[in-house]
Amino acid sequence: MRIEKCYFCSGPVYPGHGVMFVRNDCKTFRFCKSKCHKNFKKKRNPRKTRWTKAFRKASGKELTVDNALEFEKRRNIPVKYNRQLWDKTVEAMKRVEEIKLKRQARFIMNRLKKGKELEKEEAINEVKKNIHLIKAPHAGKAKQMEDKMVQKLQEDVEMGDEDN
Amino acid sequence: MGKSKQTGNHKSDKKKNIAKTWKTKRRTKDLDQIHSDMKPETAAKLLHQEVDYDVTGCAQHYCLHCARYFVDMRSLKEHFKTKVHKKRLKQLREEPYTQAEAERAAGMGSYIPPKPVEVKTQPLEEDMD
Repeated sequence: MRIEKCYFCSGPVYPGHGVMFVRNDCKTFRFCKSKCHKNFKKKRNPRKTRWTKAFRKASGKELTVDNALEFEKRRNIPVKYNRQLWDKTVEAMKRVEEIKLKRQARFIMNRLKKGKELEKEEAINEVKKNIHLIKAPHAGKAKQMEDKMVQKLQEDVEMGDEDN
Repeated sequence: MGKSKQTGNHKSDKKKNIAKTWKTKRRTKDLDQIHSDMKPETAAKLLHQEVDYDVTGCAQHYCLHCARYFVDMRSLKEHFKTKVHKKRLKQLREEPYTQAEAERAAGMGSYIPPKPVEVKTQPLEEDMD
């Protein structure tokens, strides 16, 4: 017995669930639910359908290349039952799953950082563009002029002192 | 991806009953089947079929990429200029989706992005008779 993967959404297809479609060239397609089957019949491309795993991987939303992903495989060689091996495998599966989840979470957090950067940049741009709303273009100009005049006067006075 | 590819549903008789076109009874060729059709040997076989009176145009004018028969050379040539055909070529410019890819996306192995495939409209033999 084997838990197959859905052709469309890559979800698990447990024994006794879902639908198998056999095309007239003998190729078989398994679907986990009628939604996937219907979408297949409509010839949608799973890579372009936003809710599928294939889309999420193809467009870089999820962790794609990692050693933690290499453990789950289609193994066609039957293994003789061995209690010790069984125990060890179950233990390893738990550990691998833990590592995988951690790495996937980290990948997503890193991906979201880019958005925050862009947001900040956008905010700075907006402030720069609309600076006149925060500070009026002529605000404080009169005072600046006054200060300048005072300074000039003082300089003139000093110059006059030196002359004498 | 959000927007539907359907444009208008009034003039075309083909679109009168859209649910029927999605039935497996009337299933047309999938993109991966067309990819295997494009291999030189099969392509040659499909483009030089024997005269079959049951098929449109006696199976003499076949568009490989759209998997369609045409009545004559002229309509085939017209078809090459259409949006439908060009859109199909664009769809074919990517490796076909497979069950193996679905499994890789599900976490069985690292995901390998699809490679681009070069696709061009089939060359026309100009036989004047």
